[in-house]
Amino acid sequence: MNYLIKNLVKSVPVLILITIIVFILVRITGNPVSLMLPETATHADRVALTKALGLNDPLYIQYFHYLRDLITGNFGTSFRYHESALPIVLERMPATITLAFAAMGIALLISIPLGILSAIKRNSILDVFITGASVLGKAMPNFWLGIMLILVFAEILNILPVSGSGTPLHLILPAITLGTGIAAQITRLVRSSMLEILNMDYIRTARSKGLVEFLVIYKHAFRNALIPVVTIIALQTPTLIGGTLVTEQIFAWPGLGQLLVESVNVRDMAVVQAATFIIAIFVILSNLLADVLYRYLDPRIKYQ
Amino acid sequence: MKNKFFVLLLSFILIISISGCATNQSKLGGSTDDKTLTIAQGADMVSFDIHNHNNTSTEAIHTNMFDYLVKRDKNMQLQPDLATSWKQINDKTMRFKLRKGVKFHNGDPFTANDVKFTLERVAKDGKLLDHPNYVQIKEVKVVDDYTVDIITNQPEPVLLNRVSRIASGILPSKYIKEKGWDYFLKHPIGTGPYQFVEWNKGDRIVLKANKNYFGSKPKWNKLIFRVIPEDSTRVAELLSGDVDIAMNVPPEDWDRINKNDQTYVAKSPSQRVMMLEVRQTKGTVTANPKVREAIDLAIDKKTIVDSLFDGAATLTRTRVTPGNNGANEDLYKKTLYDPEKAKQLLKEAGYGNGLTLHLSAPSGRYLKDKESAELIASMLGKVGIKVKLDLLEWSRFSEKYSSKSFNELFLIGFGNSMMDASNSLTNLKQAEAKGETDYVNPKTQRLLEKAEHNMNSDSRNKEYAEAQELIANDRPNIYLYQLDQVAGVKKNIKFTPRLDEMIYADDITTK
Repeated sequence: MNYLIKNLVKSVPVLILITIIVFILVRITGNPVSLMLPETATHADRVALTKALGLNDPLYIQYFHYLRDLITGNFGTSFRYHESALPIVLERMPATITLAFAAMGIALLISIPLGILSAIKRNSILDVFITGASVLGKAMPNFWLGIMLILVFAEILNILPVSGSGTPLHLILPAITLGTGIAAQITRLVRSSMLEILNMDYIRTARSKGLVEFLVIYKHAFRNALIPVVTIIALQTPTLIGGTLVTEQIFAWPGLGQLLVESVNVRDMAVVQAATFIIAIFVILSNLLADVLYRYLDPRIKYQ
Repeated sequence: MKNKFFVLLLSFILIISISGCATNQSKLGGSTDDKTLTIAQGADMVSFDIHNHNNTSTEAIHTNMFDYLVKRDKNMQLQPDLATSWKQINDKTMRFKLRKGVKFHNGDPFTANDVKFTLERVAKDGKLLDHPNYVQIKEVKVVDDYTVDIITNQPEPVLLNRVSRIASGILPSKYIKEKGWDYFLKHPIGTGPYQFVEWNKGDRIVLKANKNYFGSKPKWNKLIFRVIPEDSTRVAELLSGDVDIAMNVPPEDWDRINKNDQTYVAKSPSQRVMMLEVRQTKGTVTANPKVREAIDLAIDKKTIVDSLFDGAATLTRTRVTPGNNGANEDLYKKTLYDPEKAKQLLKEAGYGNGLTLHLSAPSGRYLKDKESAELIASMLGKVGIKVKLDLLEWSRFSEKYSSKSFNELFLIGFGNSMMDASNSLTNLKQAEAKGETDYVNPKTQRLLEKAEHNMNSDSRNKEYAEAQELIANDRPNIYLYQLDQVAGVKKNIKFTPRLDEMIYADDITTK
């Protein structure tokens, strides 16, 4: 328990640092005022709006105000939607979480059997093929894969919807797009972890006592090989979130990624800040979760 | 060990299925029957606060829910809508007779109070984004339930244009006063032919036919406006038949759409005229009129239109194009290109050995903006003008634009929702031009000032036409071409994009 609290406390400075970086970046890269007003607006209109948005003050004062509001749970008001930023962000969370879990599910469905096969048939043609495919899967950019999947499954074969959300069918293509890269990574991990364990003494013992090969693989090797895999899954959160930025854009998936891209484009500062803050918390928590899982699955590692 | 894995696996599956259910509401994608119209746009609607979005694609949705006092038909002619007639009482007052028997979507009757509430809100609240376009209105006086006087601060020749554009939809005053503004934003109502069903942010807005609409019966049972940011995805949705109309499709996809036997490309002019703004501040090379003329003559606009836009743009030497009050049609569909003369002019100006100047352009804001700027730079290079090209991301660009800190040239393209010359030429009035182009021509200035409040439309149009001649000659702006709007449309749907970029569902019919 102490360990958990210690780590949570440690993450507070990280969060503050993130707010500072995002706060500065979103301000030095452009001004929302000229993006919001009609092109015919006069200089006086611009000055008035700049003042109304509180963008007149020096950066550190603006940051101080932001931090003060943040402590009370106020993430500011969206310039674009004229509503509180936090609900706008939270409203988009379920779609992104759905997509992330589906992508992870697909990644596991692909990677675990392939990783095991690849390890037990080491150096066979199958192994070479799987290893090659996983290099390809990792190297393929999301946007390209997404567009190709749309072309084949929605446009040519016309068996899946192109984009949007609503039915489970809508989830398939974006989840594959987002899951492929992760599947490739986990396949390689399962393979190496299995190989390591298959050389262990207790596997030899299991075989020599006459166990069926299936049981040796499943009961003795796979279970233990899964320990690093389970923790790596939790560590995939940043990859997943990064991937949703591109994937949601391509598939018009109404999640956080799409919102973030749009908000950065129009310099909707409060939404960008709120979204990155929430994402940062997710990443920190999932890292913590990875740690805890690791300790839970392998009792030899004790809480320090 | 065994149990731990089992528990983990089970909880994982559980989370997937729960989160899956969370968003799997009963929303069907695409058109499901021939009375549903699905339109895909590139950006989500901003808000139902009609005065606080300043966004054409948002207004394109609103026009189906809210009515203006006066609206434009397909040919941009003003027609009675919530007002049945109007009359100028004096230079600063216009009287509108309102339509009787009109009901908001909740059943409340529409009256003069709604007009007063709506227009005074945007005219008086300086925080609203569209305030600069309505600050001209001093007061809206309720004469009786079905008569209002709109009183302006100055004689206002474009009042009708003002009340038939973005942010002029009439709001339900009683409903908003009773339920509050936040409630209205979540449950918006108007008097229009379609009424609100749902807005799933980032995904779609659904409207349904208003059975009590005062005009002719709505043509569609259901309208779906989908948000599909990625161009190629929007086109793929059209080709696979899931949307009826895909707005703003890029030239790369036109072939694909036309080759498909279920779809076609619909093009028509937009209000956006691309141009180079030229600084004539003393001390800059472009202060010399010969240099400005040489720049104009060196750019082969037709080649740009053909190579980058596949012909989907109209050459023009003015920003006030047909369809706008005060358009000078003598300058429309015209262009100048004479590189030899350009070289000659440069020699006369004392730049026989060439000169260097800066061209700034946004990247990713307008269709092919970066490519256009690159072509222009290379064309200028051929006559001896070395261009230092500065490509900027839009928010950076617009910041530099509003701080008036560009060098000799910048590429920009304005729209004009007012459908009037005053809006298109305002950046050339001396006060506005100061620091931007520093354009000074007392004659132009006089004409623009006179026309702005001239209530006689004939002489006003003449003043604007003359001003455009002077501007074409002085070249504070070098106009290039008027971009087309291009949409991909299903074969069984009849649709032509409107000049004002609004999407009136009842203009769209099945073939």
